Amino acid sequence: MLTELEAIKSDALSAIEAITDESSLEEARVGFLGKKGRLTAASAGMRDVPKEQKKDVGQKLNEVRTAITAALEEKGATLTAAKDAAAFATIDPTMPARALPSGGLHPLTHVLNEAVAVLRRMGFALAEGPEIETEWHCFDALNTPEDHPARNESDTFYFENGKLLRTHTSSVQIRTMEKEVPPVRIIAPGSAFRRDEIDATHLSAFHQLEGLYVDKNVSLSDLKGTLEYFFREIFGSKTEVRFRPHFFPFTEPSFEVDLKLHATGKAAKWIEIAGCGIVDPAVFSEVSNQRGDAAYDPSEISGFAFGMGIDRLAMIMYGIPDLRLLIENDVRFLGQFS
Amino acid sequence: MNVSLKWLSDHVDFSEYSMSELDDLLTFAGIEVEGIQSLPDKVVVAEVLSSDKHPDADKLSVCQVDDGSGTPRQIVCGAKNYQVGDKVPLALPGCVLDAGEGKTFEIKEGKLRGVDSLGMMCAASEIGLTDDADGLLILNPDLESGTPLSEVYPAVFELEITPNRPDCLSHLGVARELAALAGKELSGVSHHGNSETPYRRATDEEIRISSENCPFYSARIIRDVKVAESPAWLKEKLESIGLRPINNVVDITNYVLMEMGQPLHAFDMAQLEGGIHVRSAEEGEEFLALDGETYSLIAEDMVIADSKKAVALGGVMGGEKSGVTETTTDILLEAAYFTPAAIRRTARRLNLHSDSSYRFERGVDPYQVAGASDLAVKWILELAGGTVEKELQVRGELPAGPAAVALDNDYVRSVIGAEIPDETISSILTSLGMEETDGAWQMPTYRLDLPRPVDLVEEVARVYGLDKVPSIQKSWFSPASKADESFDFAAKIQTGLRGLGFFETRNLKLISEAQLADNVATNHRGMSPIRLKNPLNDEQDYLRPGIVPGLLATAERNVRFGNPDLRLFEMGRVFTATPKGGEVEHEHLALLMTGARSPRGWANGKPENVDIHDLRAVLESFSPSGLVLNPVEDDRMLCACSIEIGNGKKAAKIGMAGILPPARARELDLETPVMVAEINLKKLAAASSQDLAYAELPKFPGSSRDVAMLVPVALSAGEVAAFLAAHQEPLLQSVELFDVFQDPSGEKLPADKRSLAYSITYRAEDRTLEAAEVEKAHAKLLDSLKSGLHVDFR
Repeated sequence: MLTELEAIKSDALSAIEAITDESSLEEARVGFLGKKGRLTAASAGMRDVPKEQKKDVGQKLNEVRTAITAALEEKGATLTAAKDAAAFATIDPTMPARALPSGGLHPLTHVLNEAVAVLRRMGFALAEGPEIETEWHCFDALNTPEDHPARNESDTFYFENGKLLRTHTSSVQIRTMEKEVPPVRIIAPGSAFRRDEIDATHLSAFHQLEGLYVDKNVSLSDLKGTLEYFFREIFGSKTEVRFRPHFFPFTEPSFEVDLKLHATGKAAKWIEIAGCGIVDPAVFSEVSNQRGDAAYDPSEISGFAFGMGIDRLAMIMYGIPDLRLLIENDVRFLGQFS
Repeated sequence: MNVSLKWLSDHVDFSEYSMSELDDLLTFAGIEVEGIQSLPDKVVVAEVLSSDKHPDADKLSVCQVDDGSGTPRQIVCGAKNYQVGDKVPLALPGCVLDAGEGKTFEIKEGKLRGVDSLGMMCAASEIGLTDDADGLLILNPDLESGTPLSEVYPAVFELEITPNRPDCLSHLGVARELAALAGKELSGVSHHGNSETPYRRATDEEIRISSENCPFYSARIIRDVKVAESPAWLKEKLESIGLRPINNVVDITNYVLMEMGQPLHAFDMAQLEGGIHVRSAEEGEEFLALDGETYSLIAEDMVIADSKKAVALGGVMGGEKSGVTETTTDILLEAAYFTPAAIRRTARRLNLHSDSSYRFERGVDPYQVAGASDLAVKWILELAGGTVEKELQVRGELPAGPAAVALDNDYVRSVIGAEIPDETISSILTSLGMEETDGAWQMPTYRLDLPRPVDLVEEVARVYGLDKVPSIQKSWFSPASKADESFDFAAKIQTGLRGLGFFETRNLKLISEAQLADNVATNHRGMSPIRLKNPLNDEQDYLRPGIVPGLLATAERNVRFGNPDLRLFEMGRVFTATPKGGEVEHEHLALLMTGARSPRGWANGKPENVDIHDLRAVLESFSPSGLVLNPVEDDRMLCACSIEIGNGKKAAKIGMAGILPPARARELDLETPVMVAEINLKKLAAASSQDLAYAELPKFPGSSRDVAMLVPVALSAGEVAAFLAAHQEPLLQSVELFDVFQDPSGEKLPADKRSLAYSITYRAEDRTLEAAEVEKAHAKLLDSLKSGLHVDFR
């Protein structure tokens, strides 16, 4: 009996060893361990084994069954692994990617979102106003002289009813102060329009970002700290910021802001980027007249305002040479910013 | 304005300043340096030694010139205006000259018609000095041959003077400003406001003023002058800032203009009939100006006239016939003060801008009128001879000078935000020519821009410099505004669409009348597009009432660029007018899809084109609760649908979707079907603003039954879906359309029918359903479909 079991074991192990496919493996399992298998048949002979040998034969039987089972499992694992390997063997990972639809935001949106994110961290809330404006909101309230060139029909788009397309987002300053009382701390991104023929550096419609802070005791040092922080967040902590005296009707003192950007491989030079200043008391007086209250009494409150061209920011940030690319919307261009 | 460094040095010595230091000084004075012009290298003074006819060209001469090297140089030249012995500019080989339109050309040794030419003799325009292209520039005979011309005409700053600083529109003005900022002495200003000439009130026969735009007019008569070419120093001065010399008298008036900023005008007395009359123009009065153009005037314009005719357009331009020429012997020299607004109106209306109008419309110091007249007279006598009337004839009154302004230094400090000492404030204002008495500051008469305390703060801030002001960083907690909410919602939509393969576009908001036909935005009754009164051209004369017209133009461009597969979106304002003429602005979102559904690649070499169902999938991504496309009659699109969100009474129409009519698509060269949609963003935001809430996940499995039904082609899937949604069956969990089949040939299905196959899932929340329960519910549903929609089951 023991001899027979040993022979079964030896036959089984060599048979399993030679197997190369899963169906043969199953056949071998059935042939040795199945109901009619050789080991099953042999174990039926236990009945005839003398009592004193039963323990040894029983142990041998278990040993043989364990060995065959282990061999089957091991072979099974080997075959599965080989099958898995074969299944992925023909894959060429260097092939081009399976195409996904690719989309992207307009570069101006990227710039705007970044600018808005920084200014929101600084506690500014967004504000908006109409793009079709009254002359009062666009010019009069902003202390613009009656015969200022900007009011000319050659420079500004008008409608038959006397309204106009706002020439700057500064009109949102007035819209906000009409509705809200100080303290006011807002930014207003939006479109502005000038009657310019479109070329590489001019668009008849462009994008601006306006800022206004009105409170008690707002000073140039607040303005300076705010814009320095803003531009360093956008362009990097090494960015130099300078304030150059300038003139705008609605701020006094007024400054233009220049940046010196440090890009590797390029000589740094000053680039004009924004206009700003302390809100002219005449603007508060106009707003006060319109409101009919003293909320914006220029002897009680002060404020700063700033404005910058988003299109210009985008040109600088991305090195875009021609503004017309921004309105052409060629998807090959748009795809460069996705 | 062009300012010559050499001319500035008449008044202030900047010899120890480098160009960039001067640039900085100007910049921080608030005077923007737009450019620095200098003459090209390798242009030298050369003397013409001889000039002979070219052997093979009638119009050319062969010259020998002295370029200072000691060896004569041969130059072939086409000009005729020079004589042997003249000094002219010579561009040597290697010199790079501006050829206009951004191009340059390099002077090389070469042959002209077979004769060697080793350089080029130049006109003033060729070296970028003035616009004079008429023959060679004849230089000062005293110049040494070989002298670089950049030493004769040193660098010129192109300055941008802000409109509040007319006092800087002259060399003296700029010098005065820079001297103050640099703490330097100002010299050579004896004529400013210091006229010692006695006034005499002119008689009515001499001068009359009947225009309110001329508060003060003066005339000085000089007789027996000899009009001639100006001396070299004067010509060089004017040429250096780009002015073309005319004759000594005209050049002197231009010199005083550029020196002091006071426009003057010299009349030829032989051309004047009677005395000067400063009056309003007559309606329709014609005036021939010295630019050769005839202008038609209105009563708002002011003219300087004699008893018969207008001889100058006051403060703007002289007349063609009354100016000083070679034959002039007696001169009337006008120096006046005109009010800025009047000059500005006339100059702008006629689009006639001169150096004179430029200064008058910004504001000239009235108190320099007589001094400027004196300065001109002094030079006329010196250069043109003649005798001058002892007295200055005047009419009118000088306007009051600027009033003193009381200034509280604490106010200065609070606006600037820096602890600037009293002494610093005082010394800044004093350096700018102001004088303090009892806490009030009196400005000089040329500072017309400082009527308020805040204007003085500006002066202090400007001179003190913002670099010395501390930077304060402070912020606060801002509650979100409505604009914040809109911005955030838009950002969410942008991000979603980007992930779905859409590119964001930004089109001009101005479109053409023809493009209006492409608009698909919901039309409200009586709303109309808004036209500009003064468009730039007829391509951009309407404000867009919707965004789709712009997207279509973008699609057309992209197809032309070779990008036929497009998914585009844009957000922004659209504009319409109400019947009563008011304007309404809305924020819209528009979508456009055309071309392949997925990018072509090895995995899918022939992707199908997008259809309306792709568009719907995108639209549904905006709303977690789903939306409805409701077919409507609208000939602007095929398959036009109103986009609706929400149920029953809360349903909101938020926009329109459909397929661009193929005829229009073909016009735009769009070869694949074009899906478009336009949505009101605010309505979309409102409909999407529901609060998100957790719902318990099912604990028990559901059970599904498939049903394929044969329905008339005319019965839409939407109608079936609505019917199923209305079916009262508590166990009904969901319905999914999983197959659609149609056979137009009629072989497998009747041609007027189609098969819709749905998978219907039943589920109970509290138990696993028994098969019998499901069968019962499903049978009920089938009965209902049969009786309600008259469908057959397959």
